[in-house]
Amino acid sequence: MNILREVVAEQWEYRELLVRMTSRDLLLRYKQTVMGFGWAIFMPLVNTAIFSVIFTRVAAIDVGMPYPVFAFCGLVAWNFFSSALRFSVSSLTSNPSLVTKVYFPREIFPFSAVLVSLVDFAVSALVLVALMWWYHVVPGWPLLMLPVVVTSLVIFTAATALLLAMGNLFYRDVKYLFEIVIAFWMFATSVVYPIGRVGGRLGVLLALNPMTHLIDAFRAVILEGRMPNQAFAITTLASVVIFGGAWLMFHAAEFEFAENL
Amino acid sequence: MSAVVFEGIWKKFRRGERHDSLRDLVPALARGLARRKRPLDLTDQEFWAVRDVSFEVNPGEALGIIGPNGAGKSTILKLLTKILRPTRGRIEMHGRVGALIEVAAGFHPDLTGRENVYLQGAIMGMARAEIARKFDAIVDFSGVEAFIDTPVKRYSSGMNARLGFAIAASLDPDILLIDEVLSVGDVGFQEKCVTRMRELLARGVPLVFVSHNLAAVVDLCTRAILVERGSVRFDGRPAETVAEFRRGRRDQTVRPLPSADAIHISDVQLLRADGEASPLFHTGQPMTIQVHYRAPQPVRAPHIAIDIHGVDGLYCAGINTRMDNWGLGTLEGEGRVELVIPQLNLLPGSYTISAGILDPQGLRPLDLQSHAYPFSVASERKDFGVVYLEHHWRHDVGSPAASPAGDARTPAASLARRRPAAVVGVGGARK
Repeated sequence: MNILREVVAEQWEYRELLVRMTSRDLLLRYKQTVMGFGWAIFMPLVNTAIFSVIFTRVAAIDVGMPYPVFAFCGLVAWNFFSSALRFSVSSLTSNPSLVTKVYFPREIFPFSAVLVSLVDFAVSALVLVALMWWYHVVPGWPLLMLPVVVTSLVIFTAATALLLAMGNLFYRDVKYLFEIVIAFWMFATSVVYPIGRVGGRLGVLLALNPMTHLIDAFRAVILEGRMPNQAFAITTLASVVIFGGAWLMFHAAEFEFAENL
Repeated sequence: MSAVVFEGIWKKFRRGERHDSLRDLVPALARGLARRKRPLDLTDQEFWAVRDVSFEVNPGEALGIIGPNGAGKSTILKLLTKILRPTRGRIEMHGRVGALIEVAAGFHPDLTGRENVYLQGAIMGMARAEIARKFDAIVDFSGVEAFIDTPVKRYSSGMNARLGFAIAASLDPDILLIDEVLSVGDVGFQEKCVTRMRELLARGVPLVFVSHNLAAVVDLCTRAILVERGSVRFDGRPAETVAEFRRGRRDQTVRPLPSADAIHISDVQLLRADGEASPLFHTGQPMTIQVHYRAPQPVRAPHIAIDIHGVDGLYCAGINTRMDNWGLGTLEGEGRVELVIPQLNLLPGSYTISAGILDPQGLRPLDLQSHAYPFSVASERKDFGVVYLEHHWRHDVGSPAASPAGDARTPAASLARRRPAAVVGVGGARK
């Protein structure tokens, strides 16, 4: 516990660098692009359009609300998660000169990757508001729980980001495995369809997926006017524990990074 | 309390490639489980990069670390900067550490100079407000004002290094670590580096300086350690440590000279007026260079040669017995030859002495120790350049005929005539 406090204190000491690295990555990401932040909106919009065609025309499903809003809401949250992880996984290996030559807490790399995606998340959330207005979806008072839901999502994402960045530094296989896993993971999560309807053994298995509970809660507080359910509370607790554990592991391995990059 | 404590440090490294993919992980894990190893055991793939190194650096002290390539000097520095963690031992650093190492490591080529100053500053641990306050001074020091809003990918490598150094130099560290920065940049830039180091040292900031530039170590440091194959072989005053390093090197590097069996230089001593060996001399004071030789076999009529070079490689003086028509006769056994310089007319700076024994024709070296003996010159004189020319000024007022350049028909001609002198004065920027 003491180590954890120390690690957090050190991270706090370097908070300016975290902000700096995040703004560096944001700046770099959209430098020499014409659309800039438009890309953060464009990608989920295209996906929403595709899935809208599939799930309203080809294999129509009832989601209890206009499908595009349902899908876009899920995709915004999922895109945050997957893009944060995609940047984190190579965040250490793509900065070899910093990792091997200068010291600062290495968590900054995956954390700034998460923060960069969080900015994109906020930008695309604006489009979600526009879509809700268009489809007359009115949020209720449970919307007040949104900060809690987002925090929980960020914590789970950051925990995974730490593990992936560290894993990829030691074994470059992680990056390739990640691409496969993330593709499957999306369809095992209630991103573009409500996965809670799957029953039987597969349903039980799918219920173990923390992302489903996080995205369900996200949708519940924004679109359905429902409070997050018990599964969300458990997921949040588990995320916090995993996050602490991941950070400690990362810290323990940190000093090996320069030797193994 | 010492600012830097480095106590009983061991650091293990692995030879060759580590199992980098998951395929190799399983057998590696199995091996690890099968053999529980203690931290001080080595597998056949491992070796000690640093073994049992201890030192302390107190405020106001400058510790030089010298040694051959691969001795572990840079590893020690990386341990000090926390990039590496020791396998065993204790490191304490009290205060903010400033490292003049990889000063441009955080630069991103696509960002402008301005953006990179803020980024690199943050990497070095400066707060945004602090960087903003020092920004103008940093840009001014670096000399890249005109390009500060240009992406650094369009910078020359020199500009990159200067900007990086300017950021590092603006940091007010409690401890300063330096690795071979003096080898980058032009002479003017190097001078800036040294000035900044002296400034910090004068303020009592402890300094750790890793370098191959032995003269600079003698010049700057108050103490030096010699590191060889991961351990400290010698710890003492910089000049002593450098001499010790040279002795060790000589045994390895000079031996192969085919004729070194016949005669070799066993030692070179630099003596001051009082007869005391010292690495520090004063402009205008005497200097005696003692060359000790050992000749197991008789050697007929060899010559002794002494060269003095500036730290930047400038050849300042070359003196030998052949040119002076001073015969030594046949040498056998041990002895010493002294070169007495009644007035050392070198201006302040760092220099190195090379000593050699040549064959009777003065062509082939029988033994040669290049740049083996560093020394520094101090003085109250503020002249520029390398050499002190005895001089005085005179001013004649009146008819042009009285001036020494009286035969010059036009002012331009007289200027052209004087130009060589002016070049010596300006171009002789000394390190």
